[in-house]
Amino acid sequence: MSDRIDSLLGQALAILFALGLGAIVILTVDESPLRVLVTLLNGAFGNPERIAGTLLQTTPILICGIAACISLRAGLFNIGIEGQLFMGGFWATWVGFSFNLPPVLHLLLAMAVAIIAGMAWIAIPAFFRARYNTNEVVSTILANYVAILVTSYLTINIFKRPGGLSETPPIHESAYLPELFSFSRLNWGLIIGLVLACAVHFFFTRMSRGYAVSEMGANPKFAEYGGIDIKRQIFVVLLASGAVGGLAGGVEALGVHHRFMEGFAPGFGFDGVIAALLANGSPIGTIFTALFFGALRSGSLLLEVDTTASREIITVIQALIILAVSAQITIKRRASDSTAGERRWKF
Amino acid sequence: MSSWSRRLVALCGATAFALASQAALAKDVHIAAISGYFAQGFGVSIVNGLKKAEKDLGVKVKLVDTGNRALDYEEQFNNIAKSGEYDLVFVMGWELVDALQKTAAAYPNTKFVFIDGVLDSKQIIYANFAQNQGSFMAGALAALMAEKGSAVEGLGDGKAIGFVGGRDIPVIRDFLAGYEQGAKTAAPDIRLDSVFAGTFDDPAKGSELTMALYGQGSDIVYNVAGPTGEGVLQASAAADKYSIGVDIDQCNVAPGHVMASMLKKADVAVYSLVKDVVDGKGIEPGSIHTYDLKSGGVELLLCPQVVDKIPADVKARLEALKTDVIDGKITVATVK
Repeated sequence: MSDRIDSLLGQALAILFALGLGAIVILTVDESPLRVLVTLLNGAFGNPERIAGTLLQTTPILICGIAACISLRAGLFNIGIEGQLFMGGFWATWVGFSFNLPPVLHLLLAMAVAIIAGMAWIAIPAFFRARYNTNEVVSTILANYVAILVTSYLTINIFKRPGGLSETPPIHESAYLPELFSFSRLNWGLIIGLVLACAVHFFFTRMSRGYAVSEMGANPKFAEYGGIDIKRQIFVVLLASGAVGGLAGGVEALGVHHRFMEGFAPGFGFDGVIAALLANGSPIGTIFTALFFGALRSGSLLLEVDTTASREIITVIQALIILAVSAQITIKRRASDSTAGERRWKF
Repeated sequence: MSSWSRRLVALCGATAFALASQAALAKDVHIAAISGYFAQGFGVSIVNGLKKAEKDLGVKVKLVDTGNRALDYEEQFNNIAKSGEYDLVFVMGWELVDALQKTAAAYPNTKFVFIDGVLDSKQIIYANFAQNQGSFMAGALAALMAEKGSAVEGLGDGKAIGFVGGRDIPVIRDFLAGYEQGAKTAAPDIRLDSVFAGTFDDPAKGSELTMALYGQGSDIVYNVAGPTGEGVLQASAAADKYSIGVDIDQCNVAPGHVMASMLKKADVAVYSLVKDVVDGKGIEPGSIHTYDLKSGGVELLLCPQVVDKIPADVKARLEALKTDVIDGKITVATVK
């Protein structure tokens, strides 16, 4: 228990450190940090529409965060969620505009294809990690660039709709992920994210398979000794992580944009990884960290209009949080290296 | 009171009056501009126009950077429109069109100006450029130079000029029509070879096509192809020939080889629309404002690195042709 309080305290300090330095940056552009904070809060929570806007921003970060949690628990680092999201988004859109199907069926098929696309996109890095112990951080990062360029090529050269815009035709309404309220683009994606977070939490804390995955994350040698088929498990866990990454893309395509375009949803994969790291790999914790980043993002949109501070201040704060969190991980790792030997991450 | 001190007082008074009247204007007119491109090419030109308006006309300017996340655009437009604070909102970038049209429909009282393009919506104001007129000048320059042939350093006697377009779409055909007419008007014997790359995003292909055009005898190639056109400019340096830039000042992409740039001057367009608002001239929703040679909205800039190689009689002829277009003696064809 004291471990948990320690770690919560650590994360709170990381955020405070980032906000404090952020305030100094704001002072350098002659703006009051207090006014920025008030504008951020107003932009994020000022009225029901803005709260919905915050939740709309939270949704992709949450789902990508869950994808990251799954791999982090197993001591793996899927940083290719961005690519899986682009792939999932593109192929869900493709199903959305290419076929004419009854409403619910069409949506489910498009979602399923998004999940399969995400899994397919991580399959190669996952195979090489499981079979040859190739570093998955490098291979999944590289796959990101390929995914973004491939989807962009398909959009511009093969599926482009007529006119000046670099985008695909819109999907049919039968494939829409329904909106929750009439006044916002917020959709069922949020509910999917929340349910998924609870399901993954349940899996890791209440099921023996989940325990086996955590065991591998804590100490792979010990887990192997204990009779777990490590290679198979690495492959399956990465595939599951990729599946959720693809789902994130499907939700954005079917719930928000209803089409695929260049620059579809850049950065959400990375935001998700940060949210998951900040939550120490806990899916429930990721709900809150994703909300935190969603609120920052959403508030920053009003910030850009209402103050002289740039929207980019949020990127600065986010980068500072990564810095603080990675410093913590390094310190923890050093500490655990001296005591527990082989741990890659401590969760 | 001695005369100099009286003069000083008068001067102070005049300054105070000027400041006061500027302050009064500043309170009245608020301008916003929203785009993801304020740091590059066309966007910089918009910012320059707004800065000039801020300085000369005393308006308040707000730049809103959209970033590159499609998810954010709609909220950003809403934030601007909902404040009700802005008299004019400039919008640049095709990826914003969807959010722009939704917001314009939801807030009919906010005046959005879409720069460099015309959409279907009757609520939006459009700032468009007479690219056919600017291209007319580019064609005239290229043809006149090709006619000189090897009399000019770096040119051969192929008696031909080239054109590389992005995709074969009406707006690019509009450039081509002007270019062709300019060339035929200035030097009827010069042959025009035109090709389309089929893409705006492939500099390598632009290079390849340009090399082919050079091989067929053209020594000057006009690019209207976005990033594909960068390849055209680079090829002119590699082959030691000439090219013509488009939209913004591209003279520095291949210095000494870009002969001229056909500028679409967003700064001129933005400034004149802001001035209309300051002067109390109403701008009708749905109206299309075209900036041409006459208003200085398009212009052929002779690149400083090359300008000395261009013979005086060519420059004189260009001036004469420009005057003819401005006076309406020559009507430049357009493709819609």
